[in-house]
Amino acid sequence: MTAEEVVEKIKSSMGQDVQSAEVHLGDAVVHVAPEFLPKVAEFLKDDPDLAFDYLSDIRGVDYLKMEREPRFEAVYELHSIDKNHSVRVRVGIPEENPSVPTVTKLWSSAVFPEREIFDMFGVHIEGLEDERRLIMPETWEGHPLRKDYPLVWEDIAFTHNRDFKKELVKENPAKR
Amino acid sequence: MTVTEQGLLERDKDTMTLNMGPQHPSTHGVFRVVLEMDGEIVLSAVPDIGYLHTGIEKSSENKRYVHVIPMTDRLDYLNPPGNNLAFCLTTEKLLQVEIPGRAQYIRVIMCELTRIASHLLWLGTHALDIGAMTVFLYAWREREMILDLNEMISGVRMMTSFIRIGGVAKDATPEWIQGTRKFIDYFPEKIDEYESLLTKNPIWMDRTQGVGVFSREQAIDWSFSGPCLRASGVDFDFRKKRPYSGYENFRFEVPVGKNGDIYDRYRCRIQEMRESREILKQALDNLPDDGYKIADNKISLPPRKTLKTSMEALIHHFKLVSEGIKVPAGETYVPTEGPRGEVGFYIVSDGSNIPYRVKLRAPSFMAIPGMCHMMNGHFIADVVGIIGSVDIVMGEVDR
Repeated sequence: MTAEEVVEKIKSSMGQDVQSAEVHLGDAVVHVAPEFLPKVAEFLKDDPDLAFDYLSDIRGVDYLKMEREPRFEAVYELHSIDKNHSVRVRVGIPEENPSVPTVTKLWSSAVFPEREIFDMFGVHIEGLEDERRLIMPETWEGHPLRKDYPLVWEDIAFTHNRDFKKELVKENPAKR
Repeated sequence: MTVTEQGLLERDKDTMTLNMGPQHPSTHGVFRVVLEMDGEIVLSAVPDIGYLHTGIEKSSENKRYVHVIPMTDRLDYLNPPGNNLAFCLTTEKLLQVEIPGRAQYIRVIMCELTRIASHLLWLGTHALDIGAMTVFLYAWREREMILDLNEMISGVRMMTSFIRIGGVAKDATPEWIQGTRKFIDYFPEKIDEYESLLTKNPIWMDRTQGVGVFSREQAIDWSFSGPCLRASGVDFDFRKKRPYSGYENFRFEVPVGKNGDIYDRYRCRIQEMRESREILKQALDNLPDDGYKIADNKISLPPRKTLKTSMEALIHHFKLVSEGIKVPAGETYVPTEGPRGEVGFYIVSDGSNIPYRVKLRAPSFMAIPGMCHMMNGHFIADVVGIIGSVDIVMGEVDR
């Protein structure tokens, strides 16, 4: 199916559950609210015409500096191996208590990108069994890919300097 | 462990926890996996990554588009031109520009040479992991020739950064084309040589056939891509399914396996090297002659000699060097086929000269959970073979 047909099919079948669907630069893009994600994802996977059986990637985006509402977004890229078409599902996540339901029950490989989104953006993944940091150390504070994460500060973890005085170290602005 | 009343140590469970990596020769970088063992059988494998995290995605949000290209080399460090290409294709899609045929062909030649080099490195180290030492030295010998070709065209052996937005950095020289021709004439018999060492080797077959089996459904469910996906019988290659950069002009086969075990992954990659050589031959024979970069001076630098005579060229040069390329607002993704599978950049642009968000879709990153799932129920000796057969590169996993 072409991108237009994919969008048309999603609009006609799931019109009330998706916020909007359009073709952007030749790609089919669907906007979904977090609470409708499990239902829409299940439809996209199980519908025989769409058959999006392959999860390519999940990315987080922080739209803080573009001043777009809602602030966070999880973007799911899905392929269909047999039909050879793709769709991008964009899930807007509000700033207050950011969370998004897991899709690991549909695509097992979602566990790593979902943990990465929690690690990098602090977006809680509802229903993920193993919600730990993935890339940053477990003791890390803050979520590095957020746009308000300070770039210049890093805690001193260890020093050979004997004159090192704790009180000289300014308070870490990342800690809040 | 608990202490009994008699003061003896008593084990709580009958299994043993074994830590493998991050410093282990067979984990191909700094991959750590915690294995729960029952005797020699793996019950569960828990991956741990992040030892090579360099924050490239965060750094990209503070650099101009052109400055991101050298960092993409360092992501998947065995496939630098492929990463450059994925990044440039996505940026060019946002810019909505068409690239001249010659530039596309030079890109394809570089990517296919690197695919061969990457598969050679994989073949050498994977065979070494399993115990076949000789192949390693042979594979390195031919890989060195490809690195020399890279040096000839770009001045750098590995991190070429040669593919740029709007084309390539320089035109292909006749010496480089000659050298590449020589290499593709020389290479096929060398593939036969590797195959004579491994394909019918009873020890190799014992160690690889029926080990690390993933069915078609499992491979799709765990988002395997590239040779690992095709070894499980899925005929899916972005070069064929969604041709980019002129791949629609080449005739080549996509090797597909049957059983989805380590042996099939090996056969797929060996066959892919032969097909890459076919693509290289066609690309060199039909190399068009319409310029190695686009003429739009808002994207690619004007020719050096025009700077002294043309005011417009001087302004373009100054603006491009001082300000960089302004990319229209939007977000997009272009999947490409790297040696390890689907490589692509998701770029969000806010209309400025700096990307708002850059996210790499890394095949190794997506394959690691599936790879650890695959280890369950295997002997500890096969864990090394499984890690090697999936061909992970930690640079693109940790980013």
